[in-house]
Amino acid sequence: MDTNQINFNELWSKQESTPPDIKELSKKIHSFKRKNILRIILTNVVLAGTIAFIIFVWMHYQPQLLTTKIGIILTVLAMVIYIIVTNNTISLFKKTTTVASNQEYLQNLLAIKQKQQFINTTIMKIYFILLSIGIGLYMIEYASRMSFWGAIVTYAITFAWILFNWIYTRPRKIKKQEQKMNEIISKLEEIQSQLKQE
Amino acid sequence: MNFETIYIDYWQKIFRLCMGFTNDAHAAQDLAQETFIIVWQQLSNFRNESSLGTWIYKIATNNCLRQIEKEKRFPKAEMPIHLTEEVTSNQEPKIQLLYAFIAELPETDRIIISLELENIKQAEIAQIVGLSEANIRVKIHRIKEKLTKKFKEHGY
Repeated sequence: MDTNQINFNELWSKQESTPPDIKELSKKIHSFKRKNILRIILTNVVLAGTIAFIIFVWMHYQPQLLTTKIGIILTVLAMVIYIIVTNNTISLFKKTTTVASNQEYLQNLLAIKQKQQFINTTIMKIYFILLSIGIGLYMIEYASRMSFWGAIVTYAITFAWILFNWIYTRPRKIKKQEQKMNEIISKLEEIQSQLKQE
Repeated sequence: MNFETIYIDYWQKIFRLCMGFTNDAHAAQDLAQETFIIVWQQLSNFRNESSLGTWIYKIATNNCLRQIEKEKRFPKAEMPIHLTEEVTSNQEPKIQLLYAFIAELPETDRIIISLELENIKQAEIAQIVGLSEANIRVKIHRIKEKLTKKFKEHGY
């Protein structure tokens, strides 16, 4: 190398940034904490609200048939599973941030992403199936009080709607999610390949 | 360990590390703050298995790597990619160039060279990144060569 070699270390250390007031940081920490708590509360409110609504329907309309009750339970179950799973995957990250080396961290991140991808599609399927069966069962009691054609039309419309979601909305949603996820996964894999031992 | 002391001791270092990763003062500031939020959250779990420095750098570098996942959520076009005004105004061009060149490197190289320039021992860098020391040494040598070449291309 020549004599006027650049002293990278010196240049590097000249980059200065005054640390933001620690008060600003603690403000951020508190708002972060608040947001976290808020998120948990919100999830639970949604859950509790759904369940309360279902209980209200149960009490108020006094369903006679077992199918109605099973239908209600399945529908709620679908929603609960969906909410829990979509919330859970987020917290998977936190645990691994601090102890892992970059390589281990990338591996974890990759594993989580792949798992998430699997969960997304599987849960979506379970959600739809439970919801369809639930609604189908739930409607039996009320449809039985209708005229024959009324019942047919009600079921036809309901299942046409579910079918539409299954055939049109679901694949699009999955595709969108997968696309995003695949980009992240391939980027992670690329970074991981940078760390191949030589 | 007192969080405030850690914050004062490490802010500058972590900021530079994030700056090397992004070459964007705003993004670097955010990343550094995120790092300290995690440090604050996890401080009670720190068990002296590694040195405090290694522990904090692991958090910082892993947090930088996590940006990949976030970038996909917020399209990059919305973020200022190159040097921001306020940083350019008060610095000699060589410093700006160094950070710009580093931010152009592959992600893990950015981390490795940033740690090296922060005068962290290569054994420690090896621990943070998860490669062997020999490997780190080779990588650092190559990255420095690359940087020197880039500077030459720009007339230095």
